[in-house]
Amino acid sequence: MRLKLRIWRQAGPTAPGRLEDYAADDISPDMSFLEMLDVVNEGLVRQGKDAIAFDSDCREGICGMCSLVVNGVPHGPDRGTTVCQLHMRRYKDGDTITIEPWRARAFPVVKDLIVDRSAFDRIIAAGGYVSVNAGGAPDGNAIPISKAIYEQAMDSAACIGCGACVAACKNASAHLFMGAKISQLARLPQGQVERASRVAAMVHQADAEGFGSCSNEGECEAVCPKEIPISNIARITRELVKAVWRGGE
Amino acid sequence: MPQLDARVPAGPIAGKWDRHKFEMKLVNPANKRKFTLIVVGTGLAGASAASSLGELGYNVLSFCIQDSPRRAHSIAAQGGINAAKNYQNDGDSVYRLFYDTVKGGDYRSREANVYRLAQLSVNIIDQCVAQGVPFARDYGGLLDNRSFGGAQVSRTFYARGQTGQQLLLGAYQSLMRQVHHETVTLFPRREMLDLVVVDGRARGIVVRNLKTGEIERYAADAVILATGGYGTAYYLSTNAVNSNVTAAWRAHKRGAYFANPCYTQIHPTCIPVSGEHQSKLTLMSESLRNDGRVWVPRKVGDRRPPEQIPEDERDYYLERKYPSFGNLVPRDVASRNAKQVCDDGRGVGETGLAVYLDFADAIRRIGIEGIRDKYGNLFQMYQKITDENPYETPMRIYPAIHYTMGGLWVDYNLMSTIPGLHVLGEANFSDHGANRLGASALMQGLADGYFVIPYTIADYLASTPLPKISTDHDAFKQASDAAQRQINALLDVKGTRTIRHFHRALGRILWDDVGMSRTAESLTRALAEIPKLREEFWHDVSVPGAPDNLNQSLEYAGRVADYLDFAELLALDAQHRRESCGGHFREESQTPDGEALRDDEHFSYVAAWEYTGPGQRPELHKEPLVFDEVHPTQRSYK
Amino acid sequence: MLTCAFERRNSKLRGTVSSPRLRLLGSSVATKLLIGITGLALVLYLIVHVVGNLLIFLGPDFFNRYAYTLEGNPLLPIVEIGLLLVFLIHILRTIRNFVLNQRARPVRYVEKRRAGWPSRKSFPSSTMIVSGLWLVAFLLVHVKAFRYGAEYPWPAGGRDLYRLELETFRSPLVVAFYAISMVVIGAHLWHGIASGFQSLGADTPAWRRFILPAGKIVAVAIAGAFIVIAIWAHLQGAA
Repeated sequence: MRLKLRIWRQAGPTAPGRLEDYAADDISPDMSFLEMLDVVNEGLVRQGKDAIAFDSDCREGICGMCSLVVNGVPHGPDRGTTVCQLHMRRYKDGDTITIEPWRARAFPVVKDLIVDRSAFDRIIAAGGYVSVNAGGAPDGNAIPISKAIYEQAMDSAACIGCGACVAACKNASAHLFMGAKISQLARLPQGQVERASRVAAMVHQADAEGFGSCSNEGECEAVCPKEIPISNIARITRELVKAVWRGGE
Repeated sequence: MPQLDARVPAGPIAGKWDRHKFEMKLVNPANKRKFTLIVVGTGLAGASAASSLGELGYNVLSFCIQDSPRRAHSIAAQGGINAAKNYQNDGDSVYRLFYDTVKGGDYRSREANVYRLAQLSVNIIDQCVAQGVPFARDYGGLLDNRSFGGAQVSRTFYARGQTGQQLLLGAYQSLMRQVHHETVTLFPRREMLDLVVVDGRARGIVVRNLKTGEIERYAADAVILATGGYGTAYYLSTNAVNSNVTAAWRAHKRGAYFANPCYTQIHPTCIPVSGEHQSKLTLMSESLRNDGRVWVPRKVGDRRPPEQIPEDERDYYLERKYPSFGNLVPRDVASRNAKQVCDDGRGVGETGLAVYLDFADAIRRIGIEGIRDKYGNLFQMYQKITDENPYETPMRIYPAIHYTMGGLWVDYNLMSTIPGLHVLGEANFSDHGANRLGASALMQGLADGYFVIPYTIADYLASTPLPKISTDHDAFKQASDAAQRQINALLDVKGTRTIRHFHRALGRILWDDVGMSRTAESLTRALAEIPKLREEFWHDVSVPGAPDNLNQSLEYAGRVADYLDFAELLALDAQHRRESCGGHFREESQTPDGEALRDDEHFSYVAAWEYTGPGQRPELHKEPLVFDEVHPTQRSYK
Repeated sequence: MLTCAFERRNSKLRGTVSSPRLRLLGSSVATKLLIGITGLALVLYLIVHVVGNLLIFLGPDFFNRYAYTLEGNPLLPIVEIGLLLVFLIHILRTIRNFVLNQRARPVRYVEKRRAGWPSRKSFPSSTMIVSGLWLVAFLLVHVKAFRYGAEYPWPAGGRDLYRLELETFRSPLVVAFYAISMVVIGAHLWHGIASGFQSLGADTPAWRRFILPAGKIVAVAIAGAFIVIAIWAHLQGAA
């Protein structure tokens, strides 16, 4: 099939960007979305033109590297799917597809469709961990955890840190990303000691990075490739109230 | 021929590591921060090493090519991680895990390393649990296990189908904690282009800043590579598209020996290739073989849809050939048989390069719901990719390159032949021999990073004179100039063919001639074709864009250039090893039943290759393998 | 020697309070919490308000006596000041939050679409700031008209609010303005009620199933009741 692409091109972080038109011919429905872009890029390279820069790595929906807003929706139209798992059979001959990068102040564009998401790393660095050094951990079975708690913790832990939640949110809020980690560790016995300081530190960091606040619309949940619900965001509030109550910081 | 000394400590196997830990030198806590260590790669091995060394107080510089350390390809491991906890009371022990690993590796691994790995496996689980890694629990709240990859005990710990992800995030979080404490400095989007060796010791690296294109130099007292395997040399593999051999290869060119490159693992249950455009292959958990039955049509060229092929015209070839293991034979056996039936012209699907994995019997037995409970995610993934419903029609599967057992040669301390250069995880060659067992890769990466390198690197630092060094040193200048020269050379070719064209062509050579089964003839062919392709590459590749900004074409071109060099070593190693073992199957060396036939008399050694210059034949060094504990026998899965 | 590869941004906070514990009150999460609490308090007030207003159907005697009792309560000034404070916090925090949120995305998407279920994004949820500002304007008109409107004495004591109301709504323009404003209030609450609870941290699957429709029902009920009263008053006054 033949498609018309409108792709955001931007030479560098401070350069102006704009949508440019490309034709994608000879696209097979079995291709993944990124393979379709590979084909377009091969055409550009053959002509000696600068290839369209976009991030991807594992191409199986787990590393969280791919980050395209396809026709106005992060990761494209399929629910619970990263754009690397989106297949071209979703489109039909003659379709026009607009591709933009994640847009947020905290995710500045590096080039074309690539953004800098190190703000997420800094949020985790602020407190998204359990402070245990290697060695000296007690036997794994010394900390029993009920199956139900495990399942809930795992649901939150599934986050791949892709940033689609931020990209979809009208406020470019990182609350779902942050809430997933806070919820995972607040659920587990291992996370109790630093429970209060963790939420305080992570919330501060997210604000300092320039992410927005949450308006409870739930666009984040709808585009999350791991379908992490916004109940994880509600938990941030509960954890924060507890932290203030206990004077934790 | 020179022999290599792995410096394995003396004494009975069970006490080697403890004794060695005692005998190694220590670095005084107050002095640790005076040492700068470079860690390249942030997968399980790299992240766990960087965080552990940071915790100890070293000044750690951590590099990765992705935008965040959390994206390293360890994240994609699905199945689980082995540990000799014996929580299931089913007879597991450190010794049994050790034994299974040596045997599974077809007697081509170093016993002492494997024993240490089995010992440390139990600490890994404790460490990860303490970090908050959500391992699966049973109803009593204790850790759950499953049996994996044909093991006869249940020793695999897992977190749904995302074990690698959860373990990596645990290590990543520990790493970010050290970043917060400022013991670790992070350098994301950096690609290592050279190792800097001063006075015979690894003292730094040269990297390209992938965001700005700048060539940057970093000095240190020791360098740790944890840069993963080289499966992407085959173009199509289950590895991430950015996984590459560049860091290891360039270290090799600086003097680190490359060991056993021909040991590659091919995973039997991947989703088959659908066309030329394909950029990578997707693995589906091996657990599918627990309920799925593998078959192809009996008749050559039978193109009927699977539903229309009656039972007596189907060949359930694994069940037929291996009555006791059936569909659960080890990975290499399953893969090779799939290739064989496809070579016979009995492959299915449009390309004829696939076999059926049929769940109809299992669905009849435990119902659709039962299957959905067990494999729902996998079935969904399969449907997403192929647009076929595996509940109704059999899955099509085909083997794909998945893991590489070979890597830079290291001694017992995980140090390469360049003093100060340590290599961890899949990037080294050490623990899996000629074939890796399921759920053992995660175990090795974490053992190396959390529990081996923190001890062994101290011994190196404490016993080596390491004068201060500046990045203005000649060696740095020379290395960064060389890196710059190669970049310019790639940009200057200005040819007509795409980089992907060459990568794809190389992949086809390797897959056809150095793939699941190899012959003297195919290897000779590969060794003739690879240099030709390399020549073509350097004359006709088109690398657009500029060197001084983000340029993915340039990154890719550099990697493919290294694959083209490396592939020759891979083929050469396969050619020289005229025996079959594990993932390396030479058709000339098989039992009457078509099983891999080892030649212990001539090949019971690690083949470590020394780089001798461009266009020169590398020199072979041997580390003889001694088996004091586990006596080599012929594997049989009849 | 090292270029700083991984910038450490200091936590520059939205609030300027220095105590670490109080600093959290300046955070985005606390802002959300505060907007949620004040919003729900206003919903509560609205419910009391609409129930009181419905008493108008029981005739002038009853309605004016109710108003007189209410106005005679010595606590009323305190309640009024409290209400004013709640309004102010809700409005000011929201506006500040809106400005910060706008800053979080300096470059807009060329094309942006809704993600669809289970997102709750709707026209009302996307226009909360507009509906909110409209309501501020409405409030000024409304308070001017009733709280500080014409003082018709009522023989049994207090003001004849019944008459004031009928007279105010005699003009179809006023009715139209009120009806539109009530649709706006309905829209604001359509998202606002469930969102307020969400901001408080209440979210379980069962609660979700209840609060999402319940919030919308209450929003429609409040808006509808006010509109019915206005139209009824118009018809009554015209008669």
